[in-house]
Order: sequence, then structure tokens, then C-alpha cells
Amino acid sequence: MADSFVIETADLRKQYGDVEALRGLSLQVPAGSICGFLGRNGAGKTTTIKVLLGMARPTSGSAVVFGLPADEQKASVDIRRRTGFVSDEKDLYDSMNVEEMIRFTAPFFPRWRGDLEQRYLRRFELPPDRKVKALSRGMRTKLALLLALCRGAELLILDEPTSGLDPAMTEEALQALVTHVAGEEMTVFFSSHQIAEVDQIADHVAIIDRGRVVLAGALDDLRENFRRIQLVFDGDAPDAAFRGTGVARVRRKGRVLTVLASARAEAILDEARALNPVSVDVVPVTLKEIFLETVSAED
Amino acid sequence: MLWYKSWLDTRWRFLIGLTLLMFSAAGVVLAYPRVIKLLPLVPTADDGGELGRRIREAAELMRDYRGYVFAQWFRQNLLQMWTIFAVLLGSGGLLAQGSGGGVLFTLSMPATRNRLLGVRAAAGLAELLALAFVPTLLLPLLSPAVGESYGVGDALIHGACLFGAGSVFFSLAFLLSTSYDDLWRPLLITLAAAVVLALCGQVFRQLSRYSVFTVMSGETYFRTGHLPWLGLLASLTASAAMLYFATVNLARRDF
Repeated sequence: MADSFVIETADLRKQYGDVEALRGLSLQVPAGSICGFLGRNGAGKTTTIKVLLGMARPTSGSAVVFGLPADEQKASVDIRRRTGFVSDEKDLYDSMNVEEMIRFTAPFFPRWRGDLEQRYLRRFELPPDRKVKALSRGMRTKLALLLALCRGAELLILDEPTSGLDPAMTEEALQALVTHVAGEEMTVFFSSHQIAEVDQIADHVAIIDRGRVVLAGALDDLRENFRRIQLVFDGDAPDAAFRGTGVARVRRKGRVLTVLASARAEAILDEARALNPVSVDVVPVTLKEIFLETVSAED
Repeated sequence: MLWYKSWLDTRWRFLIGLTLLMFSAAGVVLAYPRVIKLLPLVPTADDGGELGRRIREAAELMRDYRGYVFAQWFRQNLLQMWTIFAVLLGSGGLLAQGSGGGVLFTLSMPATRNRLLGVRAAAGLAELLALAFVPTLLLPLLSPAVGESYGVGDALIHGACLFGAGSVFFSLAFLLSTSYDDLWRPLLITLAAAVVLALCGQVFRQLSRYSVFTVMSGETYFRTGHLPWLGLLASLTASAAMLYFATVNLARRDF
């Protein structure tokens, strides 16, 4: 079972002074998936990634990547040898030029892909002799992506890969990512608060809020299982308590009772009909709605 | 490639230091004939207080070329400038790369923090070694130009004393750099520590023979022909301890 997940965390906690950044985060990322890690700013996405890469030590709990404990120094080196990483800030060496950045990075990775390096240099139109500090935000992102994609990595961890990019540049970066992943056997774990881009390229999603995963699964399953059931009554909506699992949220406003079902929509619907509403509507839910409902349910 | 990165990070500090020290070494040698001409004027100087005592002592040392080189170069110019560059080379490093400087990129490389730190320390110490020996070895090379000679052995021993004892300043700045995210605090704190140590040596004359600066200048070797083993051992032990604590400090840091 453990082999089918590239990333597994269990009850992961991280405390910075008085601030609890991760509060029992449990997460599983299946091998070969493109997993979007969605959350609001400050939800704990970057902290999770830092723990996975050995940049921050967990206060308690476990984080395992490729079956290796992320908090052990030697294992962490092995994890990083098999992982491509792009940080939120697109952290690179300002004093080096593009060519020097590539020459610096390549020797660390035995499976460095020289063919991809040349391809992406051309495709991204990166000038080899330009200093990193003179690159635009978009060019910097492209260089960071090149350096991550050419590592011959089995896992890509991208922290807000498109933050600060304009829509055209975002699209270009995402397309490059999707094209690359389609041709390689790899897992992608990328954090974002841009729901549209997760919707566009991810097949799995994990939603984090206040340091805990509040929803995770295959995106198709979530789309299939989540339903909004809207009941209209001829008087005030009853203060109904739904039994059983699958009720993510119930809202009552005047004559309308809205139930967000995360599973077992049919069973919940049967229960709802027993309340004798005037009308019943069942509508699919978008990822954006799922995200907003899931996150706001935590408030 | 970590060596290359360390070199890129510190090359300007090193090259500026090397250039300044080489010019200074050449200046010390080439100024000798003029200093000799001025020496007869020294007894007329005000002989009261610490300053007068120091002038007389320096004049006494300068009556021969070896003493002149010791007083002007090993005990003064080299000692002061080298200490500043030891602090400069020890400051900064992994944490001080700061925003846009690639700290997370470095940490995403498959290398342990000990290795990252070890390479950085080794590169800095190698540069310091060059700063201690290259300008000093100019002395035997240039001395014939002023009709004097200076032994290569003397130059090497003084250089070794400087490097062995002075590495404490590098190590202190290095240790502090694993605690502070900026370049300036390790730099200023270590320089302040160096100034305080130097002032203590001046104010409390009886303590000056235990001063790290006395060991760095190789004064014991100059006066007695013996190496200051105890001082060197103490300094090297302190340096090694600080470098060790730097690795411990970095290992427990979160980024």
C-alpha cells in the first residue's frame, strides 16, 4: 500500500514559536498523479513542502517521501536527488547567469536530462548569458522550471509555480508542465491558491486549511460525489439534522435549505424528500465551490 | 559545484583583500629606506604615556630590518587588515543569501547541510590562508629591492601564526552567520569583539601576552624563536568548536 503513494504524511505538526503552522496534517499523494495542493494564503502549504524537502523539521508526526523519512538527513538527500523543486519565490542565485545556473545544478543530479535542457532553453527563449537578477519574473519562473524539469526527477514539487505571472505566461508555464509530465513517468505535487489552474491540470486535489487537510481525493471523484441539494419549502425551512455521512454542510435561509453532499447524494436526497419540500434541485458542484464550501466550513 | 558557488559568493571580498594586502606588503618594504632616515628623529618625540612608550618600542624594533618588518607588517598592517577580511569572509553564507539569493534553491540540492557548510567554511579558510601567505611571501621577494633580505621561513612561520590564531575571528563570524539571516550583524558583532579584544590588550598590558593578537603577530617567535604553541592550540580549539557549533546550529534551523 505504502508503495502506491509517493508522499505520505500522518498527523504532521509544525510549530513556529506560538504559531501552529501544521496541525495534524495527513496527506497521501498517489504515484503518477498530478496533485494540486489547494489552500488559502497561510494555510500551511509552503510549510508542508518545506517539511517534505527537509528544509523544516516537523514538531511531531511523520512525513515520508518515496518511502523515506523526510526528517532524516541522509534520507532527505535521497529524496531531493529524486525530486525537482520550484519555490514560491523562484529562489535562484542572482549573481549567476542562466548558463552558470544550469552548470551548477546539473552535476548534483545523475539523471540530468541534457536533451531537455537544450529543448527548454530554446522553448523558453532563455538567454544563457543573462544574469538571473536581470531576468523578468516570467523568465525567472521559466528558468526555475527548466532547472526542476531537467533533473530527471520522479517527483516534482512546485510551490505556487505561477504566482506573479500574467495569464499568458501562466498558460505557457502550465502547458510546459503538462507536456513534460505527459512524456515522463512522474508525480507532480503543486501548491496553489489558483483554483482554475488546479482544475486545469490536476487529477488529484488536497485542500488544506489551517494546517490540516480538510478534503482530498481524485478530482473526478470529487466532481462526481459532490452535489448541492437545494430544497424550497412553502414556509420557513425546517431546522433539519441529517443523519449519516456525506453531509458536508447545511445552510438554512428563509424558505430555502441547501445541503452540500460530499458523498451518498442519493441517500441524502431521500432523507431530504422526507421533509416534504415544495421543490428539490440537485446540481453538480465546481471545484471552486467545493473549495470555498470546504474552507469556509472550517470558519 | 558547491566550491564554485562559494568562490562566486566570496571572490570579491577575497580579491579586494588580496590586492590591498599585497600593495600594503610592497609599501612596507619599499618605505623602509625612508623610515630608516626618520629614525634619528624619534628620541625627540614626546616620551610621556603609552603612546610615547609605543613609539620608542617601535623605533627600537626598527633598528634592524627583521624588527621593522615585524613591527610594521606582522604586528600592524597585516594583523589589522587580515582580521577585517577574516571577519568579512566568515560573514554571510547560507542564510545570508536572503531574498532572491537562492537559500531554498541551495537547500533543494541533494547535499547535506553539513556538506554545504563544510564547503563554505573550507573555501573561506582556503582564501584566508592565501591572504595570510601570499602577501607575506612578497616580503622575501621584494626585500632585495631595498638592499635587505627577509627569510622565507620567517615569513611562513609568521603567516602560520596569523592564520592559526586569527581563524577564531573567521569562525566566530561563521558561527554567527548561522544564527542571523543578514550579513551585517555577524560582521559588526565580530568586528566589535575584535576591537574589544585589541583594546583590552592595550589597556591591560599584563594581559597582552595572552592576547589572540599577540599570537597572531608571532611575537613569541620573533622574540624567542619559539612558536606560541599554547596560544595556537587554544585558538585552533576555539575555532574548531565554533565551526562545530555552526553545524549544530544550522542542522536545527528551519527555513
